Amino acid sequence: MKRNIAPHIDELTKALENIDRSEIENELYKLLEFRVPIDEAKRSIIRKFGSRSASVKKIEDISIGDQGFETTVRIIEVRERVVRVRNRDATIFSGILADGTGLCYFNSWHDFSLNENDVVCIKNISVKNWNGRMEINLGDRSKVIKLSDDILPSINELSRATSKKLIDIDHSDVFVSSLCIVVELYHRNIDTRDGEIMITEGVLADDTGKLPFVAWIPLENIDIGTVVDIKGASVRMFRGVPSIYFNKNTDVSIVGGSDPLPFTLESVSAPPVPIPIENMLHKEGMFDVALRGNIISVRPGSGIVTRCPICNRVIMKGTCRAHGSVEGIQDMRIKMVVDDGTGSIMVMLDRDLSEIVYGKTMLEVKGSQGRSISQDVVYENMKQVLIGKYIGARGNTSSTEFGVSIVASSVWDPEDDLAGRVNTLFERLTETGM
Amino acid sequence: MIIVVEREVAYRIFAKEFNASKFNMRSDEEGSSKQDVHTPNYLVTPAGAKLNRLFVVGVVTEVDNVGTDKDMWKARVVDPSGAFTVYAGQYQPEAAIFLSTVELPSYIAIVGKVRMYEPDDGSVFVSIRPEEINTVDALVRNRWVVDTAEMTLDRVEVFSKVVAECESSSEVTDHMRSHGMSVSLAEGISLAMEYYHTDEAYLGNIRKVVKDCLQSLENSQYDDGVGAEEDIEDRILGLLVDMNSGKGVDYAELIKAASAREIYEDAVDVAVRSLLAKGHCYEPKIGILKPVQ
Repeated sequence: MKRNIAPHIDELTKALENIDRSEIENELYKLLEFRVPIDEAKRSIIRKFGSRSASVKKIEDISIGDQGFETTVRIIEVRERVVRVRNRDATIFSGILADGTGLCYFNSWHDFSLNENDVVCIKNISVKNWNGRMEINLGDRSKVIKLSDDILPSINELSRATSKKLIDIDHSDVFVSSLCIVVELYHRNIDTRDGEIMITEGVLADDTGKLPFVAWIPLENIDIGTVVDIKGASVRMFRGVPSIYFNKNTDVSIVGGSDPLPFTLESVSAPPVPIPIENMLHKEGMFDVALRGNIISVRPGSGIVTRCPICNRVIMKGTCRAHGSVEGIQDMRIKMVVDDGTGSIMVMLDRDLSEIVYGKTMLEVKGSQGRSISQDVVYENMKQVLIGKYIGARGNTSSTEFGVSIVASSVWDPEDDLAGRVNTLFERLTETGM
Repeated sequence: MIIVVEREVAYRIFAKEFNASKFNMRSDEEGSSKQDVHTPNYLVTPAGAKLNRLFVVGVVTEVDNVGTDKDMWKARVVDPSGAFTVYAGQYQPEAAIFLSTVELPSYIAIVGKVRMYEPDDGSVFVSIRPEEINTVDALVRNRWVVDTAEMTLDRVEVFSKVVAECESSSEVTDHMRSHGMSVSLAEGISLAMEYYHTDEAYLGNIRKVVKDCLQSLENSQYDDGVGAEEDIEDRILGLLVDMNSGKGVDYAELIKAASAREIYEDAVDVAVRSLLAKGHCYEPKIGILKPVQ
């Protein structure tokens, strides 16, 4: 019998390079004793050991869904957190790792005693999608081997990021550098494990856009209007838009006024210029952008709604999904689809903006609605008022499984220099010999 | 990653280009698997637009019930280049009610899907099946014409470059991708070259259509400056004279007649007050106007 299966063992040993031959042999015999057909047995063995013999990958080569590979990295950042899963506390370790080809977030459900700056080879890991970005997962079967420090560049070198314009920063960035100007700034005290600390929040801008920031480090001599050169700030998604975080590895230097910049405090404080909706659809989230287009649909659920006083959810017949029978609060909102010929986006309006756009206050609507008329009447009337109209809107976009939407912070009737546009078109036509 | 099925863009296109379209692109002819059922059909126009949904603003001039046992409303919606055909039946109840009651003529906006009817004789009829339909004012119509002119011209310019630089339609997609153009436009242009053999001469025709549409705006008054107001006064006075049967003209009738000539209530009001002040007409009874002759 032994002779019969020898070629199969050879074949398996070849396929599973770094697995011991005797281990494969034992496993195969065990299966054959149970009268498992040879082909089926070989398949099981490859599956069982396959993940252990897996390939070595660089961070730039990994993609979501990869499993059972190994990689050699330096730990750039690691944090311990306690999360509650199914009523039990679990400690997780998460952070960022890098290997010179790229950076990636990681998360571990086990304590591999990883420390910042460690150079490690991690085996049997997988890559998942977490909040729209790649995350390396260390699980039960993962292994961590500590290696000598000098085989990878230092943290500073690894986390050095190429300088980007704000518009180009998105959820796939881990670290960024950018030259921008502070346009909003607030201080806030928050409680942490190490006592109360003061953080600085605000908004950064350049000639391409704006993004919110949070500084966990003291910002000296930085105020609204200060031009800063930021190196090695980290990027996280907060409320659906990318946020820039300054931490102790971030270098923030003030830029003197000698070099000409493509922006000034004045130019970046102007309202955002409307951009094609198309450009919003492939971003995870954008901060303070504007659009203009036609209202091509008013979605059901617009009009007078009743909300739960506790959780603010829209409720039906006085019953909240989470809080049962409640005394609802009336509210008005509009959810509409705006299309500019390049793409379409859902625009959400709160009560104040709905009243402006619809041209009637909620109280007027309730007054005319009476008790007997259904809320559909308001919805139908909204459609009559709104469909086809031009509208401009400004706010933050976010991407969900239902598509991209923008929660409007302001809306307006876009003014149009029609005569000017017509003249430009005539000029263009003349150039082509018309 | 979450795969979001993107909502189809509502294209702006002139009736002339739309009605010249004959090529229906079915994404996949093979199976009847679930995905294929939901894959939209596209109409490719000779100038390379790949349409599934449209946004159209125009004047509704005719509405007829063409249904035999069930109601089926057929409407003609006119833009400066020609007319769109719109059908609304029992599955578009809101649009059907709208069309059966809409005043003629009036400006309307339609969001709708492209429909094609291909009888066996090889001819092709395109129409719009409305999803949303509403009345709008003249300003929305004028803006739509300018928007549509811009978008059409942008597309024609890209197409024209492609025609000049590419020998065959197979090169087009690569060429356009290397120039960073949208996949949908690249596909539309390559299909249009293949199916319609669109050349520079045809693109010139489309440019001419754009120009004519813009000129139609110039002739009407998209900027209501002082000159335009006086012009309206003259026209209103002319209307009063024409409509006066001796007993004066009912103000409501005047507004109706004026709106059919693209002069709106506010403008009529301003003009009438000015005419009254200047003594060109008087009000023998409230609501009745009589021109001074």
